[in-house]
Amino acid sequence: MADVAQSGSGTTDLAEAQTTFRRSHGSDLAARGEPFLWGMGGALAFGMTMIVGFVAMVLYFGLTTFWPKPIEVVTLMDGKVIAGEPLRQERYRPTADQLAAENETVRQAIAADLGFATRTLYHLGNYDFYGDDFRWVPDFQAKQTERPAGLVLVERQEWGAFIGHISAITVKGSKIEGDALTPEVLAAAHVEARARRERLHDIENGRIADVNHEMEALRLQARRAVLDYGTGTPGQIAAQAEVDRRTAELQAGYTTLAAEAQIIKAEEAANTVTFREIGGATKVYPLSAIVRYFESNDLGLGGSLAVYGARWWEYLTAEPREANTEGGVAPAIFGTVVMTLVMSLLVAPFGVITALYLREYAKQGRIVSIVRISVNNLAGVPSIVYGVFGLGFFAYILGGSIDALFFPERLPSPTFGTGGLLWSALTLALLTVPVVIVATEEALSAVPRSMREGSLACGASKWQTIRYIVLPRAAPGIMTGLILAMARGAGEVAPLMLVGVVKLAPQLPFDLNWPFAHLERSFMHLGFHIFDVGFQSRNSEAGRPMVFVTTLVLIVIVLLLNVSAIAIRNRLKRRFQGSQF
Amino acid sequence: MTNAPHESAEPAQRRNSVAYIRPKKTSAAVLFADKAADGIITVGGLLVILAVFGIMAFLIQVCVPLFSGGSLGARADYTLPSGHGAVLSARMDDYQTIALNLNADGSHSAFHVPTGTALNVPSFDFAGQKPTSISRTLKGDDLIFGFADGTIRLGRALLKADVLPGTAMPKNLTPLDTRDSTNGTLVYSKVPGGQARRISVILSLGAPQQVAPAGTPIIAVDYRVGGSSERPLKAFVSADAAGVVRLSMVASRINMMTGEETADITNTTLPAALEGSKIASLLLNSAADRVILGTSEGELYRFDTRNFDKPVLAERANVLGDGGKLTAISWMPGEISVVVGGSGGDVAVWFPVAKDGAKTVDGIAFVKAHTFPKQDGAITRIAVSQRTRMFVTGDDKGGVVLRHATTDRNLLELGPSPDTAGLATLLMAPRDDAILAVGINEKASLWQISVPHPEVTLGSLFGKVWYEGYAEPGYTWQSTAASDTFEPKLSLVPVLFGTIKAALYSLIFATPIALMAAIYTSEFMHLKVRGVVKPTMELMASLPSVVVGFVAALVLSPIVETWVGSVVIAFAVIPLGLVLAAYLWQILPMRIALQLEGAPKFILYFAVLGLAVWASVAMGPVIEAAFFAGDFKVWSTGRVGDGRAFTFLLLLPLSFGLVMTGLRRVLGEAYRMYLRRHLGVVGGLADFARWFGGALVAVLLAWFAAGLLSSGGFDPRGGFVDTYVQRNALIVAFAIGFAIIPIIYTIAEDALSSVPEHLRSASLACGATKWQTASWVIVPTAMSGIFSAIMIGMGRAVGETMIVVMATGNTPVLDWNIFNGLRTLSANIAVELPEAVRDSSLYRTLFLCALALFILTFIVNTIAEVVRQRFRKRAVQL
Repeated sequence: MADVAQSGSGTTDLAEAQTTFRRSHGSDLAARGEPFLWGMGGALAFGMTMIVGFVAMVLYFGLTTFWPKPIEVVTLMDGKVIAGEPLRQERYRPTADQLAAENETVRQAIAADLGFATRTLYHLGNYDFYGDDFRWVPDFQAKQTERPAGLVLVERQEWGAFIGHISAITVKGSKIEGDALTPEVLAAAHVEARARRERLHDIENGRIADVNHEMEALRLQARRAVLDYGTGTPGQIAAQAEVDRRTAELQAGYTTLAAEAQIIKAEEAANTVTFREIGGATKVYPLSAIVRYFESNDLGLGGSLAVYGARWWEYLTAEPREANTEGGVAPAIFGTVVMTLVMSLLVAPFGVITALYLREYAKQGRIVSIVRISVNNLAGVPSIVYGVFGLGFFAYILGGSIDALFFPERLPSPTFGTGGLLWSALTLALLTVPVVIVATEEALSAVPRSMREGSLACGASKWQTIRYIVLPRAAPGIMTGLILAMARGAGEVAPLMLVGVVKLAPQLPFDLNWPFAHLERSFMHLGFHIFDVGFQSRNSEAGRPMVFVTTLVLIVIVLLLNVSAIAIRNRLKRRFQGSQF
Repeated sequence: MTNAPHESAEPAQRRNSVAYIRPKKTSAAVLFADKAADGIITVGGLLVILAVFGIMAFLIQVCVPLFSGGSLGARADYTLPSGHGAVLSARMDDYQTIALNLNADGSHSAFHVPTGTALNVPSFDFAGQKPTSISRTLKGDDLIFGFADGTIRLGRALLKADVLPGTAMPKNLTPLDTRDSTNGTLVYSKVPGGQARRISVILSLGAPQQVAPAGTPIIAVDYRVGGSSERPLKAFVSADAAGVVRLSMVASRINMMTGEETADITNTTLPAALEGSKIASLLLNSAADRVILGTSEGELYRFDTRNFDKPVLAERANVLGDGGKLTAISWMPGEISVVVGGSGGDVAVWFPVAKDGAKTVDGIAFVKAHTFPKQDGAITRIAVSQRTRMFVTGDDKGGVVLRHATTDRNLLELGPSPDTAGLATLLMAPRDDAILAVGINEKASLWQISVPHPEVTLGSLFGKVWYEGYAEPGYTWQSTAASDTFEPKLSLVPVLFGTIKAALYSLIFATPIALMAAIYTSEFMHLKVRGVVKPTMELMASLPSVVVGFVAALVLSPIVETWVGSVVIAFAVIPLGLVLAAYLWQILPMRIALQLEGAPKFILYFAVLGLAVWASVAMGPVIEAAFFAGDFKVWSTGRVGDGRAFTFLLLLPLSFGLVMTGLRRVLGEAYRMYLRRHLGVVGGLADFARWFGGALVAVLLAWFAAGLLSSGGFDPRGGFVDTYVQRNALIVAFAIGFAIIPIIYTIAEDALSSVPEHLRSASLACGATKWQTASWVIVPTAMSGIFSAIMIGMGRAVGETMIVVMATGNTPVLDWNIFNGLRTLSANIAVELPEAVRDSSLYRTLFLCALALFILTFIVNTIAEVVRQRFRKRAVQL
């Protein structure tokens, strides 16, 4: 811009000078290229806005989802009354049919607005009452909107939320309603009911499940004996007798547990709650079906914060409910983390060894440079291709062989012969190994030749040089590559859909049953959770808040990994900067 | 690394303390570690490289069987017991255990397939009569016989397979081979898991029912059992020697007292005026609403019997043009297509399609969809597969050929039939793994065949295929449907097209933004700002695509749907707004402009952008009301309004370019001289006037041209724009664009920044402005780097999976409509592979998709990489 500045200040002199000189000292406007500059600047601004807007949106929706919203009671033009949480407003074009149902003034108003009207989406809850839990209310249909106190939002174990009143409860068979139903009474009864449910859950999903697991193991043991010894041989008969004896023992234990559960269930039945929705209809449920309840319009800041915190806590630690659209995502977080860790355990040694081979051992020439280009390009091969390979090779061929060799008693139901955590981790390891190789190679080539030569000259062997001189200096680069690989792996979904991710995994890949790590099991994943809840659930509207929160969590994990990669790189870079010769 | 000094320090200490003799040899441990590391690293490195390349080898290995066609296995010949008359019909069980041949006298000659051992099987008791006609259902369980006295009898011949525990096997069995043993009637097979399979023959025959007048022989019949298993619909069609064709419904009644089953038959006569001798064959479908009658002269009569009481002759079609005789005819599975064989050896598949101008009652007419190479003799027997579109044809000269209907090809020539005198019957085994031919002289042959993927050829994957029920050959991808007889349609063309469409649209959106942003960042931005902007953009490249897809599908697509008019005009308003701002900026006095250079100007970009977006949103509905019939979505269907306004938008860039070039040509030099003399505000104003005038002329020109084109009949709808679907290519372009902008941006920016600083300095020192330096020196130098950035972006766009799966309807359609959905290779794999049966045709075809993606991206990336490395080398040399 310096030249322009010059011409700008010298304008007056120039005008005189130009009569004698043809040559201009300044450049014309075209040389400034202002329109192009604005185009490019605009493009950058556009890109930045898109990105910042995207993150801001995810942050906004993700962070506000769990904040309790007020409950509005809307009286409609036709006299009906609905109660619900207003979620969002939008402008839309009413269809011809919708318009035909309205009166003249409304139609004129909409026509004047070029066919647009405004509507509000209410979360009504009460799916069991209405058969639908969301409703768009056009503004022209709402006569009156208010936020009365006393309305309760109940999060339930089933059927989604309930919005209305808790009209009565029964505790141990005796009914409490009206003034007797004070908040304290309700709270005490609820706490007790939840504790009881917890006990029941513990018996059914904990101890009875353990018994079932052992019985299944025994059944397999018996089949194994048949396959090993053949039917009717002494070995098989002995094994069968042992299995029968143990099974009988377990059966006895199971009967006791079942009886115990039955008693609790009977108690459950004597403790109920009656919900009354805004229109007056009532339904009775077990008291323990209430996860949480609060009077939305009467919560202060403190109350709201408490609900917000409790919801986050549930989200991060509990198991999912209602086809993943409510409850928590703990198994998905666990699955994502475990899968990523197993993947990095696999990818780190192989990636580093390959890079070492390419950089330190292989003879540098045409072939190695072709290999290098290819490895580089593999990072750009679509992830789904790796998924296809993982399914065809790891799960079907490798897994199938493992099943035939080691788990013949479980056939035809596959053990390793189908998608699972191990195959997912291996597939993603293959997918991310180019990232680690490229990063490690770059890091290795950045170690100055002089250091290597110095070490060798001092009599160190090649491996000693690599081990004590090269690798420590390349560590930051390797580390960065590894973390970037983890970030990529954590965010990948497409290949996992083929090799082992499921909507709802019955068991975690790690538990207290021998051999503790069950890498053949399928698992849940945050990314797949987004896809599944957003696209495969009953009502995408019901899953939407949950998906935003999961999106936020996934983005935070991926970005944290990325940022930490950059931070580690910078820190270690500084540490080694001074140590070069 | 901390260990290194220790090691060297230790011997030094020892030397000082004791008279220590330093060993001259390297210690064994060090040598061993070195060797071990050497080995492990070399082997490990090579293994990983091998594994990575193994992916391609594996994918190829899975795809290859698709194209290997069929193979002919062993052939076995049998001699059947004589004296029972010709074989009327043959059956075989799923496991090729028993072949059951029904003789003309009602007896069966059954044999054990692998060994040929005769089995003793009960007979049908025809009371001394010989059937004059016979037919069986496609699966073969239900039979109908017509007799010379005008009666018919319904029967069943089941080959029942039961799986029993191994202990339930009787002891005194005669072994047949390692797997099977028999008691003379039944065959027991050992199956894995210590179990046994018992194959038994169960026969039943109904009482004679008078259909035709007594004494008129039934010359052709066909029998179908349709409906559900609770409410079976039994119907048959019969023709007698007098040429009367009757459709009969069978209602079974069970007598409560005796438990006996009796069949009530209701008849209707089909309106066919024919001599009995001309009727060659009858076909009935399972719903009993369509009857096909083939005459010996090669005509098909198609009867519509949906109204049972009033059947209609819907169509007469000649299927043999050359005057030959119709010698064989059969349904294909699904009972829509028919295979027709003539006396001249010609074979063709015909099916009815709805077409305009069909000279038939219901507007549906038979078309000859597939023609096959002729055989030497007259086609006497046709046997169709129960599951696929394969069929076998046998001629009277001994030729037996296995063919596939949809791909128009002969799969296998089976060689001479067992009996050159002619074939009595022909059968495809239920699992399509064998073909049984029985000659008229009690000789039979069994060919083992293996045709795992008959429906896939290079032609069917990449060419047009005429599928049943389609009006014409086309490219179709439809892998599954609810019906059992559905034929998978696996054309890769719509999917490849979708891939190209998605990649192209997203590149058109992303490339200009990413490249312009990169040039701005590297050439015009302050270093400090660049240090913030670039990592932010880079970080965005790591956003999981599932997140982008989710936001695109559930947030962006409803918004774009409501504001589609605004989005369309934003493509014109945003660039125009920015350029307008630039010309206004030029008017600013130089002093002020210089003061605002930097951050204020950068913020102004955002402000102008926001203003342009706001203007688009505000103007959208107005423009829609004025030019797009009030609602863009309705307009896009092509039913209302004209295409002028959209044509105008398309023509705008063109006319703009034309007008500006014209202005430069005409005024060019003089105007430049004028500008040089008038710097500052006057120059700015003049330039603004020039641009604004030019723009105005361009707009008028485009509007005029659009009017001309649109009155000439041109309408963009039906091509590039058409009916609006909520999840469409535009949304995909935005979403993939969002994902690849950071990639293209980063690589292009790197390329621009790595242009040596001395080139930049030299250009500036010569008096060039920053803009001139960028456009004449930096960008041309970095061109190859920029090219590789676009290529890598393209590679990513081609392979993007989750975004496409979520943000489109995944409809495999072949059109350029930006408002319609699409299906890409990657989405196709993600959607279909989890459901595909291992090693099925679909499974292998999806692997082929993966291979295509692999090769496609590998090529694109390799080109990009090679170009980039060249560029790097050159940049260093400069």
